[in-house]
Amino acid sequence: MADSTKIETPARTVETVTFTINGRTATVAKGTTVLQAAHGLGITIPSFCWHPKLKPVGACRMCYVEIEKMPKLQVSCATEVTNGMVVFTESDKVKQGRRAIIEFTLLNHPLDCPTCDKGGECDLQNLTFAHGYDDSRFAFQKLRKIEAGVPSTFDDIKIGPEIVLNRNRCILCYKCVRANKEAFGEYDLGAFERGNHTEINAAPGQQVDNPFSGNLVEICPVGALTNTDWRYKIRVWLTDQKASICPFTSSGTNIQFYVERHKNRIFRTTGRRNDAIDDGWLSDVTRYGYQIIQSPDRLKTPLIKKNGKQVPATWDEALAVAAARLTEIRDKKGCVCVGGLASPSLDNASLYTFNKFMRVAMESNNVDYRTEYRRLPSSLDNPYDIAASQAFTIADIDESDVIVVIGSDLVREHPNEYLRVRKAEQFNRSKVFLLNPLSTKPSDVAALELVHKPGAEEIAISAICLAAMESGWASGVNADDLKSKTGFKKAADAAGACGLDLIEIQAVARAIAEGKKITIIAGELVTRSREREAIGAALCNLNRVFGVDGKGQMAILARHANSVGAARLGLTPDLGAGFAGALKSIWGQYPETPPQNTDAMLAAARKEELDAMILVGVNPVMIYPDREFAREALDKLDFLIACDLFETETTQLADVVLPLAGWAEYRGEYFNLEGRLQSAEPGIAPLNEARPAHQILESLAEQCGSPLFAGMDQRNAEMEKILKVDIRRPWPTGLIEVKPQPQETAPERTVALIMGDDPHHSGYLTEKAPSLVGFCGEAYAELSPELAAKLKVGAGDSVRLEAATGKIIVPVRVSEHIDNDVVFVPRNFMAAPVNSLVSRKQRVDWVKISKVSD
Amino acid sequence: MFYSPVITNASEAAKSDKLHLFRYVEDPDQVKVATYEQHGGYKAWRKALTGMSPEQVAETVKNAGLRGRGGAGFPTGLKWGFVPKNSPKPRYLVCNADESEPGTCKDRVLMERDPHAVIEGMAIAAYAIGCHVMFIYIRGEFNHSIDRMEAAMREAYAAGHLGKNLYGTGYDLEMIVHTGGGAYICGEETALLNSLEGERGMSRMRPPFPAIEGLYACPTIVNNVETLATVPHIINHGAEWYRKLGTEKSAGTKIFSLSGHVKRPGNYEVELGFNLKKFIYDPAFGNGIIGDKKLKGVIPGGASTPFLTPDMIDVGLDYESLTVKGSMLGSGAVIVFHEQTCIVWVLLKLIHFFHHESCGKCTPCREGTAWLEQIIHRIEAGEGHPGDIEAMDEVCSNILGRTICPLGDAAVMPIQSAIRLYRDEWQYHIDNHRCLVDTRFEFK
Ligand SMILES: Cc1cc2nc3c(=O)[nH]c(=O)nc-3n(C[C@H](O)[C@H](O)[C@H](O)COP(=O)(O)O)c2cc1C
Ligand code: SF4
Ligand code: SF4
Ligand code: FES
Repeated sequence: MADSTKIETPARTVETVTFTINGRTATVAKGTTVLQAAHGLGITIPSFCWHPKLKPVGACRMCYVEIEKMPKLQVSCATEVTNGMVVFTESDKVKQGRRAIIEFTLLNHPLDCPTCDKGGECDLQNLTFAHGYDDSRFAFQKLRKIEAGVPSTFDDIKIGPEIVLNRNRCILCYKCVRANKEAFGEYDLGAFERGNHTEINAAPGQQVDNPFSGNLVEICPVGALTNTDWRYKIRVWLTDQKASICPFTSSGTNIQFYVERHKNRIFRTTGRRNDAIDDGWLSDVTRYGYQIIQSPDRLKTPLIKKNGKQVPATWDEALAVAAARLTEIRDKKGCVCVGGLASPSLDNASLYTFNKFMRVAMESNNVDYRTEYRRLPSSLDNPYDIAASQAFTIADIDESDVIVVIGSDLVREHPNEYLRVRKAEQFNRSKVFLLNPLSTKPSDVAALELVHKPGAEEIAISAICLAAMESGWASGVNADDLKSKTGFKKAADAAGACGLDLIEIQAVARAIAEGKKITIIAGELVTRSREREAIGAALCNLNRVFGVDGKGQMAILARHANSVGAARLGLTPDLGAGFAGALKSIWGQYPETPPQNTDAMLAAARKEELDAMILVGVNPVMIYPDREFAREALDKLDFLIACDLFETETTQLADVVLPLAGWAEYRGEYFNLEGRLQSAEPGIAPLNEARPAHQILESLAEQCGSPLFAGMDQRNAEMEKILKVDIRRPWPTGLIEVKPQPQETAPERTVALIMGDDPHHSGYLTEKAPSLVGFCGEAYAELSPELAAKLKVGAGDSVRLEAATGKIIVPVRVSEHIDNDVVFVPRNFMAAPVNSLVSRKQRVDWVKISKVSD
Repeated sequence: MFYSPVITNASEAAKSDKLHLFRYVEDPDQVKVATYEQHGGYKAWRKALTGMSPEQVAETVKNAGLRGRGGAGFPTGLKWGFVPKNSPKPRYLVCNADESEPGTCKDRVLMERDPHAVIEGMAIAAYAIGCHVMFIYIRGEFNHSIDRMEAAMREAYAAGHLGKNLYGTGYDLEMIVHTGGGAYICGEETALLNSLEGERGMSRMRPPFPAIEGLYACPTIVNNVETLATVPHIINHGAEWYRKLGTEKSAGTKIFSLSGHVKRPGNYEVELGFNLKKFIYDPAFGNGIIGDKKLKGVIPGGASTPFLTPDMIDVGLDYESLTVKGSMLGSGAVIVFHEQTCIVWVLLKLIHFFHHESCGKCTPCREGTAWLEQIIHRIEAGEGHPGDIEAMDEVCSNILGRTICPLGDAAVMPIQSAIRLYRDEWQYHIDNHRCLVDTRFEFK
C-alpha cells in the first residue's frame, strides 16, 4: 500500500564540495564531515565517540585520517570536507595512529570479555581485532575503579532502575553523557574526576532514570553500561532480529526484537534507526514495553462466565457461546442492540475486521475506537477533526524555526516528537513556545512558556490571533470578524480571561507571524478536553490568521499507535454519506441504524437500551473519564465479550473473555501520526492460546453465520479500496465562531486535576513490564512546593483526592515545575484509578485535596 | 589588605621609560582607583572610548605588534579582528586569569598590585570588539587576586569607568569576576569557556574558534591578564613607541617569572630579547645559581616548554630566538636547575602534574600521560627496564600533535627534550638502579 499522505518537502539546492579519498573523487554536500562522506562511499573509518545524532567531540581519536598538506593526523569525525581535499584512510601513518589509540584505550581496560555482556557486539572488541596489536606493552597494574564498601564481583554498580555501570570497562567516549544532554536534556549522568581517573557516574544523589535512559545502554560502545533487562540472559550471537514498530505511541518508532533462535522468546528491544521518524532514539516505554508480552499474568485460555464465575474454556466453547448470544441479541427485532469498541493500537487488519464485523455481521453502527475522551463528536465534520486530520511530518520539526506546542504535555504523550523539538532547539536554534495549563518538560529549551488557567485553551489561542491583528503582524482576516467570532474585543481581554500577560501573548503572536517555517503541535490536553470542538475552532482560526498552512504545519497529533488507521479504516461511528457509501459499495450493505459513539453506547447500556458489547483490547473501566459510569454501564449489559491480554477491571465484568495476541506476536501494519504505513514483523508466535484480534473476529463472524472474507486477499483488497477514501478535511477558508466555554469556577478549596501518562507508564498494560514498574513505581500526585507546604505534606506522605464521583489516596511528589492550583496524577495505575475522579460533564476536574494522616 | 611577597624589579621600572607594567607594583596605594588615576590610569580608556573608533583601537594594538602573553604568542590585534563584524549576537571578552602553569606567577602580581591596569586593559579590548559584558576568570585558589579584582571593580564602577553610559558616550560595559574551577585545564581557553558556562572544564574542538563561537556560542575573545594590562600603555603612547621596544618580531616588554635554583627568584619585567644568561646571572635578576653550583638546564617558558642545556642559554628571551634553540617562550616562566638535580625526578614531577591535570577528554593525553608517569616513576625508583626510554619516546610521539588541546603536547615536549638532551642520565638510572646525582631537586 502506498503511503498517500506523506508530503514531499521541496528539494533544496545544496552547495557541494569535491574531494578525493583513497584515490577516488567524490562530491558531497558542504558541511559533510570526512567520516560521513567516507561512510557514504562505503569506506569505513573506525570510531568510538562519533554518533550520527550527536555533535562531534573528537574525544576517542580513533577516526584519524591523513589529509594532504596537513602534517598532523586529523580526526575525520570533526573535519569537514573542503574542495580539493585529498584524504587517505589506510595509509601507514593512519594505521599506526589507530594502533596507538587501541593500545591507549586498552591500557586500563579489564579485558574481561568472557564475563562481559557486551561480548559479540562490542566496538572495542571488534576494532581491537581489526586494528590493534596482538600484545600489550603495558606492564603495570591496571587502574581499577571500585565503589568502596560495595562488594561486587565485576565492580558493577547500579546507577538506575535498569542500568548497571562498570567504570573499568568504560572507554570514556562520553556518548552517554552527550546523548543525555544534547538529545534528551537530562543531567542525571555525568563525568567526574580528571585524567585517566575520569569516570562516568550518576549525578550525586540521583538515579539515571530519565524517560530515555535505555538509549545510553544501547549507544555505549563497550560493556560499561548494561541493563538488567538483557544482561547475562543470552549472548547476542544466539539471537535473530525481527523488525517491529512501537505500539505505545503514535510515532511508529522503528524497533527490533532480539529473539532466541528457534525459541519463542524475546530478549530485548533496540532501535532500528529511521531518521524520518525516530533518529534511533527509543523511549524507555518503547524499549522495555515488550516485556508485557511475556508476562506470566497473560490470560492463558478463554473464559466463560458460568453461575457468575469466569471459568476456563476452550476456544470452540467460548466462540460458540459468544456467537450464539450475539446472534440472538442482534436478531431481536426493532432495536440496535450490539456495540463495540476497539483499541486504536491494533493493527490495520484487526481494526478493519472489527469494523466489518460490527457493521456487517452485527448490522450495527455502534463502533468506536476512542474510549478515553469525553463528549466526543460522532462524525468527522467538526473543527476538532479538521485540525486533527492535517498533514504532519515529524522530520519537518527539525527545520522549523518556530515551534509552538499547544495543549500537550509533550514528553508524556509524544516522547519522540519531544526529542525532535529539543533537537530543533539544540541543533537549529529554533524558538520553542509552550502554551499549556501546566508547566511541561521542554520548558528548559523554550523561548517562552505560557501557563494559562486550566480550561482556557481556546481563549489563549484567540488571544494570540487578536494580538497579531492588533499589532499588524498578521493580516489574514478581517479584524472585526475576528473580534466577533472570538467574542473578545481586545487581545488584552482574552489574555486576561485565560490568566496570561498580553506581552507573552504578543511574543508568541509575533514569532508565529515572523517565522519562516512553523510547526504547531496540539496534543492530548486538547483532545481530552470536553471543549475540544471550541479549541479546534480556535486552531482553525489560528491557521487562517497566520496562514500557517502556507509556511509550515499544524495538527492535533494522533495519540495511539494506529489512531490514524482507525480513522481511515472507518471506525468513527458516523462516517458521513461519502465514506459510508464507499463502504456500502464494497460490502454490498451498510447498516441503517443510528451511529453511536462511546459516550452514547455507554449511556445506552446504562439505560439498558444496549444489550451486548464487544471490547477488543480496551479497558473502559480504567480509561473512560468517569470510571463508575463506565463500570455501571458495562455491568448492565446482558452480554459482554472482552478480548484482552490480561485480566483487567473490565474483563472481570465480561461473560466471555478471549485471550488476545499482542503486537509482537503477529504481523501487522500501522499508520503513524504522519499517515506513514509501516509493517511490524512478529517477534514470536502467540503465547499460550492467544489469537490476533482479526482472527478472533473472523471466527466469530463465521460462527454468527456471516463470514467476513473469503480469504486474506479479499480482506486486503477491501482495505486497499477503503484507504483510498480521503478523510482529510481542508482548513476552513473563513473564521469559525469560537464559543468560549470557560471553566466552571473553582469550588472552594479545590485544585484542578490534570491526568496524563507517566513517562514510564503509558497505557493500562505497561504495569505488566517489570522494568517499567522499576522506573515509575506507584501512582503519585505531583504538586507544587507551595501547595505541599499548605497541606503540610512532603515526600513520603500521601494525599486524598476527592471528587463527587470518587476518591483516591496517592503518595505525594513535590515538583518545582507545577503550579499551585493544579495537581498532576498519572493514569492507568491499577491501585489508583484516577479516572474515578473525573466527570464527563465538567470541563475542569476540580478535586478536594487533603493530607492523609495515619 | 596584604599581598603575596615576591621580588620584582619595580624600582628599575620606575626609572625606565620603557618598562611600564611594573612601574607602580611596589606602591601599596596603586590598587586604589585614585592613586591609579594619579599615575595616569584610565586615561587610555577615556581616550579610546571618547576619541577612537573600535577599529582604530584594534588597529593600534595590531600595529604595536603585541602578542598574547598567555603562552601561544598569537598577535593580539589580529585575534580581535576575527570577531565577525556584523554578527547579531552579543560579543564577550574574557580575561584569562587562571594562571596555573608550574613556574608562572606573573598575572597574580598584576592582579594583586595593579588591578585597575587589568580592568582598563579589559575595557579597552571590550570596546575594540564591541563587547558590553566582560568577564575575568580568576584561578580559584588566588584568594588575594580575587579580593583585589573585586574591590577594584567596585571602585571602577563607582568612579564611572564601568557601568552605563560611560564618559557620556552611551557605551555600556559590565564586568563580572568569576572564580575558577580549580583545574589547570581551565586556563586553556575553550575549557575555560566551558567552565564559565557552568559545564565541566574540558577543552572543545576547534573550529569553531572562540572568536566565532565562544561563550554561549557567541563571538568571544580570550586574552591573558598581562596581554590586556599592556593595552592601556599602547593606547597612551602609541603603536610606534611599543613597536620600538623588544626585538623586531617580538615587540614590547614581558614579565618573566624566574624560579628554581637561582639566588633571587622573582618576577621581572624586561624587554623581549633580553639575554637569558644575563637574566640568570645578573645581580639585578637571578644573581646566579644557589651555592654557586653549575647549571644543569633551564626550562625557559613554563613547565610545558623544552629544556635548554647550559650551552644553549646565551639566547634572547623572545619568541623567535627560543624557537631556534628548540624551545619556546611560552608564558615566560624561567625554571633553573643546578647540576645536582636529577632530571628523571624533575620529569616525574612534571608528568605527574600533567597526568593529574589532563582533562580526560581525549584518549592519547588521558591514557598516555598516566602511562608515562608510570614508566618514569619506575625508572626514578630504580626499577627501569631496558627499552623504557624507547617506549617513553614512542608514547610521546603518539601523543604529540594528536590531542584536542595543547595540553597533550605540553606534557610530552619537556620529556622528549629531556630524553634527547640528557639521555645518558636516563640510561644510568635504568642500568644502575639509582640516580646519577646524589642530591635531589630541592629549592634551598
Ligand atoms: C593547558 C593550557 C593551559 C593554559 N593556561 C593558561 C593560563 O593559565 N592563562 C592564560 O592566559 N593562558 C593559558 N593558556 C593559553 C590560552 O589557551 C589562550 O591561548 C590564552 O589565554 C590567550 O590569551 P593571549 O592571546 O593573550 O595569550 C593555556 C593553554 C593551555 C593549552
Ligand atoms: S559509559 Fe559507555 S557510553 Fe559512557 S563514556 Fe563510557 S564507554 Fe562511552
Ligand atoms: S589534550 Fe588532554 S587536556 Fe587537552 S582535551 Fe585532550 S585530554 Fe583534555
Ligand atoms: S570518532 Fe572521531 S574522535 Fe572519536
